[in-house]
Amino acid sequence: MNKTEFLYDGEIIEATTEKTGDVLTATVGDKTFEFVPVGANLYATTVNGCRHVVGVAFHDGTCYVDIDSVLIELKEPSEDGFAGGAGGQAGEKDKIFAPMPGKIVKIMVAVGDEVTEKQPMVIVEAMKMENQVNSRAAGKVKAVNFAVGDQVDTESPIIELELLEDE
Amino acid sequence: MKKLFNKILVANRSEIAVRVMNACRTLGIPCVAVYSEADVNARHRLSADEAVSIGPPPPRESYLDIDKIIEAAKSTGCDAIHPGYGFLAENPLFAQRCAEEQITFIGPSPDAITLLGNKVQSRIKMAEAGVPLIPGMKGTETDIEVYRKAAEEAGYPVMIKAAAGGGGKGMRIVNSPDDLVAAVEAAQREAKNAFDDDTVYLEKYIVNPRHIEFQVMADTHGNTVHLFERECSIQRRHQKIIEETPSIALDNDLRARMGADAVKVARAADYTNAGTVEFLLDASGKYYFLEMNTRIQVEHPITEMVTGTDLVVEQIRIAAGEPISEQLKNLTQRGHAIECRIYAEDGDNNFMPSTGRIVHYSEPSGPGVRVDSGVAGGIEVTIDYDPILAKLIVHAPTREQAIIKMIDALNNYKILGVRTSKKFMIDVMRHPEFADGRTYTDFIEKNMAERNTDQSDFRDLAVAAAAVASSNAGLTSTTVVAEGASIPEPAQLLGNWQIGDSITK
Repeated sequence: MNKTEFLYDGEIIEATTEKTGDVLTATVGDKTFEFVPVGANLYATTVNGCRHVVGVAFHDGTCYVDIDSVLIELKEPSEDGFAGGAGGQAGEKDKIFAPMPGKIVKIMVAVGDEVTEKQPMVIVEAMKMENQVNSRAAGKVKAVNFAVGDQVDTESPIIELELLEDE
Repeated sequence: MKKLFNKILVANRSEIAVRVMNACRTLGIPCVAVYSEADVNARHRLSADEAVSIGPPPPRESYLDIDKIIEAAKSTGCDAIHPGYGFLAENPLFAQRCAEEQITFIGPSPDAITLLGNKVQSRIKMAEAGVPLIPGMKGTETDIEVYRKAAEEAGYPVMIKAAAGGGGKGMRIVNSPDDLVAAVEAAQREAKNAFDDDTVYLEKYIVNPRHIEFQVMADTHGNTVHLFERECSIQRRHQKIIEETPSIALDNDLRARMGADAVKVARAADYTNAGTVEFLLDASGKYYFLEMNTRIQVEHPITEMVTGTDLVVEQIRIAAGEPISEQLKNLTQRGHAIECRIYAEDGDNNFMPSTGRIVHYSEPSGPGVRVDSGVAGGIEVTIDYDPILAKLIVHAPTREQAIIKMIDALNNYKILGVRTSKKFMIDVMRHPEFADGRTYTDFIEKNMAERNTDQSDFRDLAVAAAAVASSNAGLTSTTVVAEGASIPEPAQLLGNWQIGDSITK
């Protein structure tokens, strides 16, 4: 059993996978899908009695999926959360940066909130993609420096935390 | 087989360059690619026997630079140049220059290109030849009585158009004589505001037209034939995206009359080589000459599928002075063919161009499925050129079967990393109006505006597939395309290498 998380449209979706012989099984919520690899990056699955070949490829933290010509882009999980992790200086776990220049579309915390590690903090839209930025440590929100609709670069912290003592 | 040319330079890029090289290979003629700095790893470069670098990415400094193309042809010993479509294909100066350099231009004469490139001159010529044109005023007028008379002759509805026109500005559709004066005045005001020129003219408004074009082929021995029609009514921003043949709107009588007029157009222009005569066809079965394109067209493969011909091979033969093949004189249309143009653009977002690395690429296959592609996995799609990636063509005994085959082929065509309009194409194919053949040039604005682009039904399956692929990484060899490991080997791209030079002897 393997747990994997992906970001779809600002939302974390979890899947558990299992391998039995050639068959790969993945469960998302209450749905289970079976896949058989049929070529490089290609997986066949049967849904409601119809066979579909799904194309899946990863590049630069994005997972590209083609199901019946519907193109879906998911963000891959990474050590620091999603979207390749926060920018700014490594080690500055008390600051939340945008992963790329963009526009803030959602801020999920307010000053005074206590947050846990990997908690979603803010969503930044760049190149028409929403990128969720997670907290990299547990702490208390000390400052929110931008508002929804603001343009941000990767250098200015969007949110600052007061890290918990035992971190 | 008679040797037609020693070596052919293909003065183009992407899918059409690859297509022309395939024809060269069919004839056993070595071919030379030209490529810009943006196309070092491009499929067309790797498909040729030799390749010459011709400069920076901007077309003006490479693919449109006549001196550089001629120099590339001379330095590699080419005695012919195929221009493909776009770039220099319809530039009479280029065709002229080739002649001066004693290099055969695989296409029509500079005179024919010049004549047909001039819309006013070619209209006059075709009117003389007796080809039907959209009725209307020959020039502009200020006297409203002239408009009234022209409208009566053309028959309502009519359209008032700005002479300096474009983008629908200064255009007015008039349904009855009562509205004529107000419409002319409004069009003049609009034209004045938009173009600072209030000159307008009147022509017949074609209601619900279809775009029907005829492929023609003419040799230097006086033989001119047509290879039936293509219907290209499905257009976005006046650009064709889906083409089919035969057209559901033509019966044998209409086909014969339009085909004969297409041949008439080619003859009137002293045309040689491959060309396409475009018509508008209205709901009552009347048709009007629009223009003649003096090149091989993007959509030529559907004609090849239903006639069993190779038009590019035929172009090369004709350019070498051969008469057109006997086969072309006795053609029939077998079955139905459809082409979908695969552009790097977001079909769900107003066809916004999409750039980036193609991180996965695999083509559909099977009987009657053809892919003319200019790309491969690992290739970077840049903003430098037209966003066409490939063309998917299917051939089946009936239109209904061709539609089903196209949907299946689109679903099995996997291009990941850039957005494409595959899903949009499928939604067109599945539309009841398309199935019924009610394909008019306003099809997309009329039928596709309200289309559902919600992807949430596919969310869980997408995540499941991603999770499975991610856990399966390392078990398969090529799941992740890594930076720097992306340049495809020629042998991976091509199925038909020939070793040594024995094929040319």
